[in-house]
Amino acid sequence: MIIELKGVWFAYPGSRRYALRGVHMRVEGGRVVMIEGPNGAGKTTLLKVLALLYRPVKGAVLVNGDDYWSLDPRTQLSLRRRVVYVHERPILLRGSVLENVALGLKLRGVPGAISGALETLRAMGLEYLAERKWRELSAGEAQLVSIARAVAVQPELLLLDEPMAHLDEDRRELLVEILRELKSRGVGIVVASHWPQDELLRIGIDRVVRVVGGEVRAL
Amino acid sequence: MSIVEEVLEITLRSLAVSGTATLLASTWSVPLAYILAKPGRLRGLIASILEALVGIPTVLLGLALYMLFSRSGVLGFLHLLYTAKAIVVGQAILVTPLITVTACRVLKSARESFEEMALALGADDLQAMAIALRESLPGVASSVVMGFSRAVGELGIALMLGGNIRGATRVLTTAIALSVSMGEYDLALYLGAILVAISVLVSVTVKLLEEVQGP
Repeated sequence: MIIELKGVWFAYPGSRRYALRGVHMRVEGGRVVMIEGPNGAGKTTLLKVLALLYRPVKGAVLVNGDDYWSLDPRTQLSLRRRVVYVHERPILLRGSVLENVALGLKLRGVPGAISGALETLRAMGLEYLAERKWRELSAGEAQLVSIARAVAVQPELLLLDEPMAHLDEDRRELLVEILRELKSRGVGIVVASHWPQDELLRIGIDRVVRVVGGEVRAL
Repeated sequence: MSIVEEVLEITLRSLAVSGTATLLASTWSVPLAYILAKPGRLRGLIASILEALVGIPTVLLGLALYMLFSRSGVLGFLHLLYTAKAIVVGQAILVTPLITVTACRVLKSARESFEEMALALGADDLQAMAIALRESLPGVASSVVMGFSRAVGELGIALMLGGNIRGATRVLTTAIALSVSMGEYDLALYLGAILVAISVLVSVTVKLLEEVQGP
């Protein structure tokens, strides 16, 4: 799967300020792209445009060569289901970790969503969290659970917004291992971070782009 | 009818009238809150107007509705004046801004977090909406309970539209007002204690619901 941004401009509803200004960018399966830049530079907005959540006001988002926002809603949904974006602040449903991790599978109508979720938790070494309630998790655990929920649906592109933000050293190590494994399976990964982190470099980053004032500069 | 029976009857009528009014108001306030929770200038303007109406004096609203429901009023043909139904309608209108505004805040937050999270995880629009609504249910319920609290404690509408008729439209607040005017302070205090007990119960319910909703 390849997503290309061609001269993308984006402004939030009601705002006259462009959060993205003429962005050209390409992400694809099996490659890791790191987006860096200061707070408020437009990293999250860029990730959400790449996640096919935000429609640009100008420019085009091409998915495998097709203009995504010109496609019919059904095709859009099937393409959007191949990309998963994970928020910086974990957003978990009330209920257990297992129910949360199964959510994406349930949304797709996958039979055996719960066992699939359990399998993902097991593969990520997080099985011990399965029965915990959302309120009983630390910030780091909640972050890993939200990543596990994304991984469970086996996306072709995984977009992570500040994934290390709430993690301690051991859990950062765990996340690096998970991301390296995903990369080796051909999953495209885009990671946004407001400061360069050594751990992220160990995933095997193919390209680093810097976002400043809504503009993207390749490094 | 003994005094205890009368107090019980008044209390039950208060709960029934304000409960019905709150439920009635919820049927339009919650969908309206969901619509207003989407971004947009017109929606923002409507939300601002409703926010300003949250604290509308009940006497003023009671007077406006009295003029509408009186025999010579536009809605006089409905013969609602001095009935419990008139109080229900009046209280439903009174609590609409409060329920809408507070539910809107909850739903706006749910839309920005849960709805977007669901879409990011592959939900279609309906699935995302259902998740946002489900997750905001305790918060929305808390808004409805707050609306009930406002309704049960108001006096102006119950007095002007209901007329404080014994056995028909007398509710806790109008009964307290009457007791005070007749110098029956013990009864007024007794009725007041019931009203306070209801308010405390409502506050505890809101607190519990907000805890379920989480940060």
